[in-house]
Amino acid sequence: MLINFNFRVIWEYMPLFLEGLRNTFLISIVSLILALMVGILACAARLSRWKLLRAVSIVYIESIRSTPLLVQIYFFYFGLPTLGLRVPELETGIIALMLNSGAYIAEIVRAGITSVPNGQIEAGISSGLSYTQRMRFIVLPQALGVTVPPLLGQAIVLVKDSALLSLISVLELTRCGQELTSERFMPAEGFLTVAVLYLCIYYCLKPLAGWSQKKLIFREEY
Amino acid sequence: MAFYASRIIQILPYFLKGLLMTIEVSGISLILSTVLGFVLGILRTADSKLITRSIGVYVDVMRGTPFVVQVFIVFFILPSWGLQLEPLPAAILALTAMTAAFICEVVSGGIKAVPKGQWEAAAASGLTRMQQLRLVILPQSMQTILPPLVGQYVLMIKDSSVVSVIGVTELTRVGWQTVVRIPEGLMVFTLVGILYFVICYPLIRLSNYLEHRLSLQTVKL
Amino acid sequence: MIVFKNVHKWFGKLHVLNDINLHVRSGEVVVICGPSGSGKSTLIRCINRLEKFQQGELYVDGQALHDHSINLTKLRADIGFVFQQFHLYPHMTALQNVTLAPVNVRKIDKKEAVALGREKLARVGLADKAEAYPAQLSGGQQQRVAIARGLAMNPKIMLFDEPTSALDPEMIGEVLDVMVQLAGEGMTMCVVTHEMGFARQVAHRVIFMDAGQLVEKGAPDEFFDHPKTDRAAQFISKILTH
Ligand SMILES: Nc1ncnc2c1ncn2[C@@H]1O[C@H](COP(=O)(O)OP(=O)(O)O)[C@@H](O)[C@H]1O
Ligand SMILES: [Mg+2]
Repeated sequence: MLINFNFRVIWEYMPLFLEGLRNTFLISIVSLILALMVGILACAARLSRWKLLRAVSIVYIESIRSTPLLVQIYFFYFGLPTLGLRVPELETGIIALMLNSGAYIAEIVRAGITSVPNGQIEAGISSGLSYTQRMRFIVLPQALGVTVPPLLGQAIVLVKDSALLSLISVLELTRCGQELTSERFMPAEGFLTVAVLYLCIYYCLKPLAGWSQKKLIFREEY
Repeated sequence: MAFYASRIIQILPYFLKGLLMTIEVSGISLILSTVLGFVLGILRTADSKLITRSIGVYVDVMRGTPFVVQVFIVFFILPSWGLQLEPLPAAILALTAMTAAFICEVVSGGIKAVPKGQWEAAAASGLTRMQQLRLVILPQSMQTILPPLVGQYVLMIKDSSVVSVIGVTELTRVGWQTVVRIPEGLMVFTLVGILYFVICYPLIRLSNYLEHRLSLQTVKL
Repeated sequence: MIVFKNVHKWFGKLHVLNDINLHVRSGEVVVICGPSGSGKSTLIRCINRLEKFQQGELYVDGQALHDHSINLTKLRADIGFVFQQFHLYPHMTALQNVTLAPVNVRKIDKKEAVALGREKLARVGLADKAEAYPAQLSGGQQQRVAIARGLAMNPKIMLFDEPTSALDPEMIGEVLDVMVQLAGEGMTMCVVTHEMGFARQVAHRVIFMDAGQLVEKGAPDEFFDHPKTDRAAQFISKILTH
């Protein structure tokens, strides 16, 4: 099959692919930053003392985790207009990605905080450290180490998830493959190039995740 | 609004048919990917570098590319290599190929988590390598494998929504077809979401429960 | 220094501390022993208020712990606590572990704290391990850092909850040596331990607990050689033969 693989077309469309790659990159970064904020807020609500806040956060997290991202994207894409809101496709997509990843990040952060052993906190109490001091010097530094590797994993997922925005005609990487298919009917050239470019992103992030796993996680050892 | 609500009740049977299709696609892929995933996962722990490396590359490719791209590749590109597939088999092939890669990682992780001494003890009692695996190692690793395995099933059911793009009339596609005719996006996709929730939420709880049970056991050790 | 008066504590229905009366004088070393689950940990955790109790009175260094308005931070800053499982902060070096509380609770100057921390580490024989992380230290070394961490607050009381139980046998000695030295300097100490040698050498009194009750107290030699109660006799024969 590689014999009739048309590299000339790929070259011709390279500017488009690079634009798609850049957009995928930007969409992912923006969504990740927003999702981090949403996630931290949702986690704080999840661990809060107020029942109502906890309930709201649980409903949000569980309903996101139990439904497909594509359905969430369509929910906003077809739903916002019925509310009379005209939101462009790109922003709609970013809202969906933000809320989706936010729910997963909330759980990641919560797992990080609860992973700090009770004995650590008791040791802090015993030397007279206040609640904020214990959080700042003992719980958060250790929780952060535990949180970073899965957060990088979530970043990888987010890059892949952003591909679904092609289905609401946002021009990102996957959309380029679709254009090549519809304009020239060259799906092989289009989608294989797209796949290779995604793999490049993946192979940049994967070692980072592995490194953070080794470097940042401190465990109590007995 | 009320008018649309009654129309949605009218077309509810279509949603249920869509739900059935979702269950069918995911169910078949679940079985196939579990079998393939276990085989790959066991091979992944083999001694041969060639085998483990090739499986590693396969897993990376599946994990490193979006599922929607994989679906397009199966549906649009395989035909030019002489493999023409209907939407349904294409969907099952794509779902199986991806999920098997994730299950492979779960299984090999579970096997590697069993202490080396267990292999040695089993070997010392004269079991063959296959027997060591089947009688001693796998039963122990099943406990660590099970919670993330159920988690993978949930991911797969959710990812099955993506095969709507190649025309499989499952739940998401039914929602899409409906919303084109009835412009009540919120209501339609809330309904679709609820139907997914009904399948996925119990599975997530199951996975959490299995994990909780596992953590209790490890504490006792 | 520490006075328990008719202290009772329940975990749900479980009566973990049953009418505890005890008076520990300044400079006294008290060893607490007894079977597992008898309430030893709970007893000494009450002293720095890691556990609350429901009934009775407890005075530590003149403060009334049954009174809920006391300044807990001040209380705890003056009491060092050493855990069975060390609980060193794994993301900090030995020196950082030792100086964290002096800097943030006592509010002493960073430089001063470092000097203080090095002095305390030297005192437990670990001057050369100041920059090591807990994961790079042996169990015995970790526990000695934990003791230095307690000492860095210049406490009036040191509490030890089975400090050598998580250690390999060859490391027990190095930790006990530090504790013996500490006792010799006149520190007030409550030590939950089954190390009879340590008890005979430095303890002024041994206390035996069973099922939440303080069953027997006495001088170490008398307690180990001529226990007054059957329960204590049985317990001693068990730790002798194991
Ligand atoms: N946080 C707790 N909640 C409920 N029961 C507890 C708790 N901590 C200890 N216990 C129970 O109290 C009893 C005494 O425990 P502990 O003081 O740790 O005994 P020891 O240190 O003598 O082995 C045990 O039966 C234990 O199971
Ligand atoms: Mg104890």
